[in-house]
Amino acid sequence: MKVVDARGQACPQPVILARQAMADSNELTVIVDNETAEMNVSRMAEKAGYRVASQRKDQDIFIHLTRVVEAQAKPLQACATDEWVVLVTSEVLGRGSDELGAVLVRGFLHALDEAESRPASLIFMNSGVRLVVQGSKVLDDLRSLSEKGVEILACGTCLDFYALKGRLAVGQVSNMYSIVEALSRADRVLSL
Amino acid sequence: MPDTDYAVVLFHSTQAAIKAERVLLRQGFSVKMIPTPRQLSSSCGTAVRCLWEDEGSVRAALKAGGVEWEGIHRLTVRR
Repeated sequence: MKVVDARGQACPQPVILARQAMADSNELTVIVDNETAEMNVSRMAEKAGYRVASQRKDQDIFIHLTRVVEAQAKPLQACATDEWVVLVTSEVLGRGSDELGAVLVRGFLHALDEAESRPASLIFMNSGVRLVVQGSKVLDDLRSLSEKGVEILACGTCLDFYALKGRLAVGQVSNMYSIVEALSRADRVLSL
Repeated sequence: MPDTDYAVVLFHSTQAAIKAERVLLRQGFSVKMIPTPRQLSSSCGTAVRCLWEDEGSVRAALKAGGVEWEGIHRLTVRR
């Protein structure tokens, strides 16, 4: 069985290494040394149709991956849905007055929460991550969307850059691989 | 969850709505900026929503803060 040693690798390297190995292995073990890497690799593998089982040994985490879904199955399924995602790349909506932009983004998310059709995911990048951390004025609407099944992803690099990593208040930390997957899987992408 | 009664304050300008929110937050009111509900106005506007039970004190606070409003409507949200 293939073993990928991703210990000591910074994000998103463990995901990249695991992905490469998955291309020609139906069964593999990925070794990482932190929980964020464990989460990112596990999530990516689950989405790709693998069964995931983790095991801890001292500082190391062994993630066993076994393919359970045929690689072909997923795209077919995706065709039957009308999945859309919203990409939020700023804490304000549009260019011009930032004061107005802050009002507009709050209005947008409130209306989105009340709308009949909801996106599969909301992805927050760059200063957009300020909307998903403690102190944000849109947390109520985002929590409500999350309870309705909308996946909320915050770019980890961006949280890190703005020193907001420990302050995530809704959703989950994500990496560029998951974000690219969510965007490319969607039938429609609404970019703000 | 029971229905919630809100007071929705409409303004002549977005600037006034922003100022109203600032004034009301400073006084500790529970407020939220929302897009003006369709049933209240067809215009593309921003409104300030607070609890209906605060309606009287919100009026007083806005008046004291020098914020003009266009109208206050009662809105019941069913959960």
